[in-house]
Amino acid sequence: MEYWSNGKGLTSSMRMQNIISVSKGLAFVCFSVVTIASLMLFSTATADESEKLTIYVVNYPLQYFAERIAVEHARVVFPAPADVDPAYWMPDEKTISEYQRADLILLNGANYAKWLNKVSLPRFRMVNTSAAFKDRYIETAEILTHSHGAEGEHGHEALAFTTWIDFSLAAEQAEAIAKALSRTRPALRDTFQKNYEELKRELLKLDRDIKEVVSKEQSRVLVVSHPVYDYFARSYGLNIRSVHWEPDEIPTTAQMVELHTILKDHQAKWMIWEGEPAKEAVERLKTIGIQSVVFDPCGNAPNQGDFMSVMRQNIENLKEVFPQSRW
Amino acid sequence: MISIRSLEFYYRPGEFRLDIPEFSVTKGEKVAVIGPSGSGKTTLLNLIAGIMTPLKGTVSVGDIQVSGLDDRERRDFRITNIGFVFQDFELLDYLNVLDNVLHPFRITGALTLDREARSRATNLAQDMGIGDKLKRNSNDLSHGEKQRVAICRALLSQPKLILADEATGNLDPDNKGLILDLLFQSVEDHGTTLLAVTHDYELLKRFDRVVDFQQFEGHDK
Amino acid sequence: MLDTFYIAWRYVSFNKIKTATLVACVTLISFLPLSLQLLLEESERQLMSRAVSTPLVVGAKGSSLDLVMNTLYFDDEVPELITVAASNRVMDTDLALPIPVYARFQARGNPIVGTTLDYFDFRGLKIAQGRQLAVLGDCVLGAKVAETLGLEPGDSLVSSPETLFDLAGIYPLKMKVVGVLEKSHTSDDLAVFVDLKTAWVIQGLGHGHEDVTKLRDPTLVLKRTEKNVAATAKLYHHNEITEKNIDSFHFHGDLAQYPITAVIAVPHDDKSGTILRGRYLSQEETRQIVRPEDVIDGLLQNIFRIKNVLDAVISVVALATILAIILVFALSLRLRQREIQTVFKLGCRRATIARLLTAEIFIIVIMSGVFCGAMVFLVNQLSNDLVRMLFIR
Repeated sequence: MEYWSNGKGLTSSMRMQNIISVSKGLAFVCFSVVTIASLMLFSTATADESEKLTIYVVNYPLQYFAERIAVEHARVVFPAPADVDPAYWMPDEKTISEYQRADLILLNGANYAKWLNKVSLPRFRMVNTSAAFKDRYIETAEILTHSHGAEGEHGHEALAFTTWIDFSLAAEQAEAIAKALSRTRPALRDTFQKNYEELKRELLKLDRDIKEVVSKEQSRVLVVSHPVYDYFARSYGLNIRSVHWEPDEIPTTAQMVELHTILKDHQAKWMIWEGEPAKEAVERLKTIGIQSVVFDPCGNAPNQGDFMSVMRQNIENLKEVFPQSRW
Repeated sequence: MISIRSLEFYYRPGEFRLDIPEFSVTKGEKVAVIGPSGSGKTTLLNLIAGIMTPLKGTVSVGDIQVSGLDDRERRDFRITNIGFVFQDFELLDYLNVLDNVLHPFRITGALTLDREARSRATNLAQDMGIGDKLKRNSNDLSHGEKQRVAICRALLSQPKLILADEATGNLDPDNKGLILDLLFQSVEDHGTTLLAVTHDYELLKRFDRVVDFQQFEGHDK
Repeated sequence: MLDTFYIAWRYVSFNKIKTATLVACVTLISFLPLSLQLLLEESERQLMSRAVSTPLVVGAKGSSLDLVMNTLYFDDEVPELITVAASNRVMDTDLALPIPVYARFQARGNPIVGTTLDYFDFRGLKIAQGRQLAVLGDCVLGAKVAETLGLEPGDSLVSSPETLFDLAGIYPLKMKVVGVLEKSHTSDDLAVFVDLKTAWVIQGLGHGHEDVTKLRDPTLVLKRTEKNVAATAKLYHHNEITEKNIDSFHFHGDLAQYPITAVIAVPHDDKSGTILRGRYLSQEETRQIVRPEDVIDGLLQNIFRIKNVLDAVISVVALATILAIILVFALSLRLRQREIQTVFKLGCRRATIARLLTAEIFIIVIMSGVFCGAMVFLVNQLSNDLVRMLFIR
């Protein structure tokens, strides 16, 4: 529209045209802003739901179970170094604050992680995965407790804590994890449930397999290198006595004497080790008629494979101890 | 200037009574009124100023019949036409010299406190010899200085009439003459009429006329 | 009008002492009820907001007021103790989330509050300096405590013994200051926060020492059996928790039986809260569950009843003061009779004389108003801190 001068500038119709153009422009800008804002809001909302959970655990089996159930919906962290026993590990300040920031903290229960009594963690985000069977915890008599004064209380009876090698209990722990995840992310409840069912099937198969292996020879007397097989023994009906031998160490004379004392009324022919024993230790045991076999409780991450593969290997190893089984 | 006719006044019946058949003062005249204490001299001044009104008779100042005005009119008349000089100076101790001089202008709407009035106040003070004391508190002045302030206050509104009630009563002998000189000079300069009640017989000769109040039947009957 | 005020101002400023006295009287008599009202309103606000934000509190049966005052405001009056089992009980109901609180000990006049990390999330407390509690022996300071004691992360703070001469009682524990909280304008600013377990260490229920089973000094061993070694009281307990000795720290007995002062219960919803409260109604119940809002409301009702009495007293005093002020004015008028006569003689109207006196009163009232306003403003600005100092912890 050419500019027509009436001595006063733009005509009224041109002014109207301009007004309409500006209005259209403003409307477009407003619409864009609203759309972008809505998209951002929506994407934020969906991002919240799709954002990965951060889960911290106190041992490797819990890490395995959580990863199996949560799959890509969670980042599961087990910060203990590979060469330490997680039950006796103490995290540093930085690691503790990472635990504090986690969405969920999965505990084994049965006083497993000794460090818990020395740190501050948010209780609401802690999950005791063995709470459902706390009435079935096994108390073990510690070697030696202490007390103060004539009337003082003793160190409380220690609880056996390797619950997960009773695979029916492991399944219950997995269930507790699934429930905790579902509470935290209700929209993914079905996914978690499905994954848990699958894991449960595998764990219960392990349970059945062991029962089959030991079924004919349950009365077989065994010694174990460390008192970590209580739940295993109870669940699968094994008759065990424990020493305190490290797999990578050669037993001392005192330790051999202790073993002899045990063998007097507990004539075992097999020693179950929690890790690959030193050759010399195996030879020494052989001289007194005891064979060695490894059943790795897998409290920490294995060098190779995963929880399932380690347990399956453990069961294979047990077949040596119970050859009369139909396996 | 002042004209009184057939004036009768008493405070309460049977008590002191003032009867003045006739009394007048011409414009510009300086008149002294003498008489014994309680003869009614101050009452006369009050009647002329309109502070009181006679029971009978008339009191006129200039063209105004003061006795015929109402209270408010008499107050306005008084503050614009009459200047007072008291025996006890009657200055306000919480005001400085200048504020004391300007005081009447601040307490009435009949007078306007403008630049001209302030300038006149300063000039009056200069003439009275207290120009350097304008900011001083009036309490800090000598009796003589206080009376000068009072005279300035009385003259500031350019009154027609100055009524002085024992103006030199509280002054030492040296100051009496001095103050009277200042007063006389001022009234002559401004053409003001002066009616002064006084007990100072040595000063009487300076006045134009002396009126003995005993001629009026002001005694208790 | 200006002239009237000018003269009035001159009079008022000349008679300094009289003016100052009158202004002081009028200021005080106006300030007292206003400031009292302000402080009470602020008290009400603080008490109620804290109470409303705390849904339920479980504690031992007894004074609900003591329980609430100790739990919410860390009052010195420690209620009867309960155990961690009470907190577990709330957790097990699945109706509410429990936050145990153990507010019993003190450190240099400030309350030590043993609790869990959930307390900080619940109260919305953020760390301003340093970090959150992590290990046994850590403490996090409220903003005001840090300011008053001049402490910052890295410093130490020793807990106070409970009683001065109880040699076998609560030993001081040297705590490590790891963090300082942001100001919250609540009682949390005045507290020293520790983990519940640290509070138990302060009490002596948890401790660290040499391995008793490996002791060689016979004077440290009371009795040795096959299963247990009993140590004598001579055995040294660490009074500070460090990286080197933390492993030696432990607790005897069942932690569920360890003491706390209260449990803050945060119900999932109103219905859960109601059901939870119903669980504590039985006659045999040894615990009580209270709604702090109800308890504080009751307290405030009492306070306001007292306030009504105070108001009546202040009113009487005010009336007496006003009468005294009127008397002062009346006497002043009498003394100024001469001045009034003078201005009357000069020709001042009656209304002007009245205006002059009114102006003087007005000036005094305005000055009092300004002073009163300034003082009330000051009280208003400081009311938050004043109330906590005077009425609440």
